[in-house]
Amino acid sequence: MRIGALKESYAADQALFDTAFQRQMLALGALALIAFPFLANEYWLYLACLVSIHVIATTGLNILTGYTGLVSLGHAAFMGVGAYVVALAELKLGSPFLLNLLLAGAATAAIGMVVGIPSLRVRGLYLAIATIAASFILHFVFQNWTSVTGGVRGLSIPPASFFGRALDQPSELYWVVIPIMILMVLAAANLFRTRIGRAFIAIRDRDISAEVLGVPLLRYKLMSFGLSSFYAGVAGGLWVYFFRVVTPESFPIVYSIFFLAAVIVGGMGTILGGILGAVFMTMVPEALKLIVGLLSPWLPNAVAILSPVRTVVFGGLIIGFLIFEPHGLAEIWRRIRRFFHLWPFKN
Amino acid sequence: MLTRRQTLAAGIGAGALLAGARPSAAQASEIVIGGSIPLTGVFAFAGVGVNDGIADYVKIVNDAGGIAGRKVRYIPEDTGYKVDQSVAVFNKITGSNPVNLYYGDSTGFAKTINPELNRKNSILMAGASFATELNDPKSFPNQFMAGPDYSEMIGILLQYIAKTQPGARLALVNSDTEFGRDPVAATEALAGKLNLKIVEKIVTPPGSVDVSTEVLKLRRANPDFTIFHGYVLAPLPEFINQAKQLGLKTKFMGTFWSMDNSLWAKIGEPADGFMGIMPYRYYYDADGKSPMLDKIRQMRPEYQSTAYTQGFLTTMLFLEATKRAIEAKVDLTGANLKAALNSIKDFDTGGLIGVPITISGNTIPVGRVYKFDASKKLMLPDSDWIRVSKAG
Repeated sequence: MRIGALKESYAADQALFDTAFQRQMLALGALALIAFPFLANEYWLYLACLVSIHVIATTGLNILTGYTGLVSLGHAAFMGVGAYVVALAELKLGSPFLLNLLLAGAATAAIGMVVGIPSLRVRGLYLAIATIAASFILHFVFQNWTSVTGGVRGLSIPPASFFGRALDQPSELYWVVIPIMILMVLAAANLFRTRIGRAFIAIRDRDISAEVLGVPLLRYKLMSFGLSSFYAGVAGGLWVYFFRVVTPESFPIVYSIFFLAAVIVGGMGTILGGILGAVFMTMVPEALKLIVGLLSPWLPNAVAILSPVRTVVFGGLIIGFLIFEPHGLAEIWRRIRRFFHLWPFKN
Repeated sequence: MLTRRQTLAAGIGAGALLAGARPSAAQASEIVIGGSIPLTGVFAFAGVGVNDGIADYVKIVNDAGGIAGRKVRYIPEDTGYKVDQSVAVFNKITGSNPVNLYYGDSTGFAKTINPELNRKNSILMAGASFATELNDPKSFPNQFMAGPDYSEMIGILLQYIAKTQPGARLALVNSDTEFGRDPVAATEALAGKLNLKIVEKIVTPPGSVDVSTEVLKLRRANPDFTIFHGYVLAPLPEFINQAKQLGLKTKFMGTFWSMDNSLWAKIGEPADGFMGIMPYRYYYDADGKSPMLDKIRQMRPEYQSTAYTQGFLTTMLFLEATKRAIEAKVDLTGANLKAALNSIKDFDTGGLIGVPITISGNTIPVGRVYKFDASKKLMLPDSDWIRVSKAG
């Protein structure tokens, strides 16, 4: 049972990780992440990278939807912009991959801000439709600006290289993707301790009140779109380094829905929610596949018979979460923590 | 009643038993076929057939003693027809099994995994994609497709048209996807050579859409033949229905993935006369000798889709290449397997394809035109087998 957490200064009170136990757990987590590539095979490293890319993108959407209250269904298209910018920078400029990722983030942020302009006048479903429209426009550009985007065939790129070493395996990209993911998640967590982040929350809770309090709506809404798109751009950039080919079909609208579902299932408006949501949406189908795989030695043709059942179970799980825990996985996590804080007492 | 602790103990015990009793993983002498198979998602209709086709051919080979005494093992996993899932499945299967052969589910996957295939050089891959881009042995040295590529398919249709109606007017209807736009440039080039005139080019979104304006365009252009590509079924029936209502005389044609008999049998009368290219014999084909089809019909008395035949034939070619590589006493590397595949000359597929086949590159550039007969509810052959070169 935790008796209390003594804080001696305002800085300690505002710290992201405010107890020694939390910091120990964090150090343990960091050690686990460092040890992981030495213990896991390519499949698990592949999934770790994919989950990390999804965590970055989901955190970006969480800034916009969870914290600022602006619904976007164009997130995948923004990722597409990032992916194309990285591919073009790699092919035409040959610039270092970290610079390319920054370029992708910046370019996507700029486009995101343009797409965000209607957010001053429309909210909720109307804004969702506006972002879907933007997504269609971007897909049209990906498909038809053939001289730049390669048209329907898209662009294939060489692997990212770091001091002459090609990063073409998940085990190598892991060392790039994971640190970037951690940096971006920490940056997002910090954002909400600043004026900007608090302004986003004020807009979400009541935009008219926020404006009365001196929060310029246009500037902050566009800033939220810009930041969210920056995350999407970097995620898209990492995605294209990971898969090394991007086509207009790489970022369909269902991918946007995937991220929105991750934000909702994880818990809107919490950094942990974005992480848990992305992990849940990526890993649960894999876990269900593992179960199907375990049955295959006994049930001939188990993969063919049980695959449709698997998708139904996945859908059922999402619905179950929405009904029984509308605050998402983050709330379940908080409840578990509370249990251990109070243990051995129940309440 | 069991306590929570007892239930947990029982669960752990059962799990341990299950893990202990699990049959052993792949043995070194086995030949392993991995598969990123779309058993769910938009391409599931084909994935299920492909999966059965591969499994059946593996069973036939294993029942006959395997390949040079080595058993064949097939390890499929569902991808939902998503590239990231397909790659995850590839990593998972190849990470824990000595995979020699692999079936991929899409063009996107084939392109994405190609650098990894080249790096590994231990796997020969084929799959559901007939993309023209993959028909390049230099860029895709460890891949092939069990049929003509999409441009070659259109080439076969154009040869048929040029023969049956010289100087015919054509309309091209393509879906606005990589799949749909694939053969357009090659079609235009070849049509010019064969003295056929393209009078209209229509691009639509894939799937079910309102096609009334497109049908009006067709009426204005008045083509003799309208060639669809990049669709499975929708919106072909709508197109055909509306065109017939307007009294258009144009003949409609399609390519492999829109040619399964069961699709058109459900449409019935309006589909009468629909034609298209098919690289294989249909399940029910009775013309010529086809012992392999007899075997399939024996194993599965009910109709099997063209996707089934595709999976079946792909596996036959996989294992023929493996057999040749083993006989040549070379290691089963990707390059050696591909070289063994390319040594296939005038090979008898047991009647799945009506003529002996030769695989000199990444495709089998042969097929024939079938026409749907609504009264019999069957696709029936309307041409002899037609071969094309890469340029058409």
